[in-house]
Amino acid sequence: MNREQFLKQLNASLKKLSDEEKEDILQDFEEHFDIGKSEGKPEEEISKSLGSPNQIGKELIATHYLGKAEDHYSAGNIFRAVWAVIGLGFFNLVIVLGPFIAILSVVLAGWITGLAFIISPLLVLINVVIYPGAFELFDLFFSIALTGLGILIAIGMLYVTRFITTGFVRYLNYNAKLVKGGLKHE
Amino acid sequence: MNIQFNKGALELCVLALLDKTDRYGYELVQKISEQITISEGSVYPLLRRLKKEDYVTTYLQESTEGPSRKYYMLTDKGREYLRVIIPEWQIFSSGVNYLIKEGTGNE
Repeated sequence: MNREQFLKQLNASLKKLSDEEKEDILQDFEEHFDIGKSEGKPEEEISKSLGSPNQIGKELIATHYLGKAEDHYSAGNIFRAVWAVIGLGFFNLVIVLGPFIAILSVVLAGWITGLAFIISPLLVLINVVIYPGAFELFDLFFSIALTGLGILIAIGMLYVTRFITTGFVRYLNYNAKLVKGGLKHE
Repeated sequence: MNIQFNKGALELCVLALLDKTDRYGYELVQKISEQITISEGSVYPLLRRLKKEDYVTTYLQESTEGPSRKYYMLTDKGREYLRVIIPEWQIFSSGVNYLIKEGTGNE
C-alpha cells in the first residue's frame, strides 16, 4: 500500500468524524510519511509499519465517541460509543455487549414499572369507560397510591440511571484502553 | 504476547519519552519501535487520547528539513501521572521477573 492508498483508506474509515478532526488526523500521518520519506524509506515500507489504516480508524472512532459519551450522557452517544468499542475486536463483543444488554434491560424494566404505576389511575378510568358497571372506589384509591409509588420509583430510577450510565461509560473507557492493539502478536 | 498488557506499556513508553524533552510523532514512533515491535500507527490514536486527557499538549515547530512538525509536550498533569505509573510498572515487572526466575531457574 502506498501513501495515497493508506491515507485514502484512513480517510474513508473516519467519515463519521468532523472535517476538522479528520484533517488533523490525516495531517499527522502526512507528516509521518514526509519524515519517513526524507529519511529515504519507501512509502510501502512506511505504511506497512504503520499497520492497517482501518484498525487505526476504528481506534480513533472509538476514542471519539467515548469522549462524546463522557461529555454528554445521551442515549445516542452511549449507543454509538458501545458500538464503536465493540467494533475494536471480537473480545469486546463479548465483554461489552453482554453487560450492556443486561444493564439496559434492568434499567428499562425499572422505568416501565415506574411509568405503569404512574398512569394506573388512567387505566382505571379507561376500565370505567369500557365497563361502566365494574367501577369500584377501591380500584381508584389503590391506583392513586400506585401513582405515588410510581413517582418515587421514577425519581429513584433517575438517580440509578445516571449512576449506571457514569459507571458504564467508565467501563467502556477502561475497555477501549485495554484492547486497543498496541503490539503485533509475536 | 498479551496485547492488553502491552497497551498500558505503550502509554508508559510515550509519556516517559516526553519527560525530558518534547518530541514529534515520528520520532516517538521510531524510538519505541527500535525497542519493541508495535503496529506503529496505533501510537497516533494513543497520542490523541493523551492529549484529550490533558497529559500532553502539542505545538507546531518549523523544521530545517521540510514542513513544520507537530511536537508533543508533557503537561504537569501528565508528569504527575507518569510519576504514579512508573513505580507501578516497576513493581509489576519485578514481580514478573521474580516469577520467571522462580519458575524456570535451575538451582
